[in-house]
Amino acid sequence: MIVANYLVAGAVLCLGLFTVLTQRNLIKIVLGLSLMESSTYLLLVSLAYRHGSTAPVLLSPPKGEGQTALAHGNVADPVLQNFCLTAIVIGVAITAVFLTVVVRLAQHYRSIDADDIRDLRG
Amino acid sequence: MTDAADAPVEPVASADRHRPLIGVVIVGAFAAVLAIGLCALPRERAELPAIAREAMTIALPQWGTTEPVNEIVYGSRGFDTFGETFLLLAAVVSVMTLGRQRETRNEYVGEASAGLAEQQRDDPHSRTDSEEGEARQAEEREQDDSSTTDQESREPEAAPDDADDDPLGQPAPERAAGMTVIVRVAARTAAVPLSVAAIYLAAWGYSPGGGFPAGAALAGVILLLYTALGHRAVGKVVRPTVLEPLELFGAAAIIAVGVIGLLRRGSLFANWVRLAEPETIRSGGTLQLFSAGELIEVGTGLTIAIFALLGTEHDWTPDESGGDQSSDGSDRSDGSDGSDASQPSGGHRQGGGS
Repeated sequence: MIVANYLVAGAVLCLGLFTVLTQRNLIKIVLGLSLMESSTYLLLVSLAYRHGSTAPVLLSPPKGEGQTALAHGNVADPVLQNFCLTAIVIGVAITAVFLTVVVRLAQHYRSIDADDIRDLRG
Repeated sequence: MTDAADAPVEPVASADRHRPLIGVVIVGAFAAVLAIGLCALPRERAELPAIAREAMTIALPQWGTTEPVNEIVYGSRGFDTFGETFLLLAAVVSVMTLGRQRETRNEYVGEASAGLAEQQRDDPHSRTDSEEGEARQAEEREQDDSSTTDQESREPEAAPDDADDDPLGQPAPERAAGMTVIVRVAARTAAVPLSVAAIYLAAWGYSPGGGFPAGAALAGVILLLYTALGHRAVGKVVRPTVLEPLELFGAAAIIAVGVIGLLRRGSLFANWVRLAEPETIRSGGTLQLFSAGELIEVGTGLTIAIFALLGTEHDWTPDESGGDQSSDGSDRSDGSDGSDASQPSGGHRQGGGS
């Protein structure tokens, strides 16, 4: 029933998207984006899962088997776990930039209401 | 921004949602498409993809590591990690550029408070001109809203530079830029094993790898010390002249590892170091070097980004408060009128405190 994890990840993504679309508070918009990022972590780790698998580590093989047997055994997907690591770092970087922009906007407009920030309006 | 003169003038946002119905429709439609896609994804009983199986099989013979995830991160998909690292670097540069202060920068945080302490020590009863006094008061109120009313009654005494110089047993909170002695001792005690654990994670941790979490843990140790001991305690390390060259050194090391692989082995990030015994400190060939570069890059990058964010606090746009600054349209006319009427001069927060 790993599909439940997928759907929860999708629900978290939609929750974040709804926050981004409907909130006026810039901090909450950044929180919504963070939520959308977090949903990808859940999705990637869930996608990597295999039923009855072990961690993709070539240590302490079962008795009678070598490490090469472990490499062909039932393990979770290491590539997707790598993607999750990548996503975490990118998430941190993007959140930092967004927060800095929010701080600057707050300092410039003295408001964190997206409705007040209209200088770019054509 | 607010109508009433005595209302708080913090940046606020209206509580109501912006067009929630349209939001529900859009997100609902997106969710339906997303659900269809998610249900079609491979499930837990699917075969492992060929690329994953390949990584499992080459990890030990080609890279001498027992950790296929690290082999992928720093080896066969090293270019991904390279891109991600430089995305982090770009983010750090963006944060610093956006957060750059107008004053000369020697530290990320604390220039204003350090100057304030010195000023009070030299001349405790100094009466500066009215404009500066108002600005200082406004800033003080911003730092500590509770002290607005009884500011005059308790004469502030300059806090010692080092929190440890503050005498113990005072009834009031300790005034130096640090927390209580209990927190300070706990933080100092925890910092040592945490730092060792972080280095262990990168250097040994069964096998090469771990530069990312180790870097994050080291940044966490610096933050812990900053929180407990104040910015002066970490000021020797957490300053642009130390962290920025260090971060660029980490980035340069990663580029060097990749380019040497390209020159000597014909592909970027190919292994060019002789493989050592697996599960030793030198196992994994260039994985260990790449991981060490990441340790420096992530540790310093996160620290710079966080402290640059913290350091932006004293750099508010001066409110000329003649009303001429709010040049945009009629939407803000209420707010501008309110603040103009409350106080024609002397900073935006003037109205809030009186």
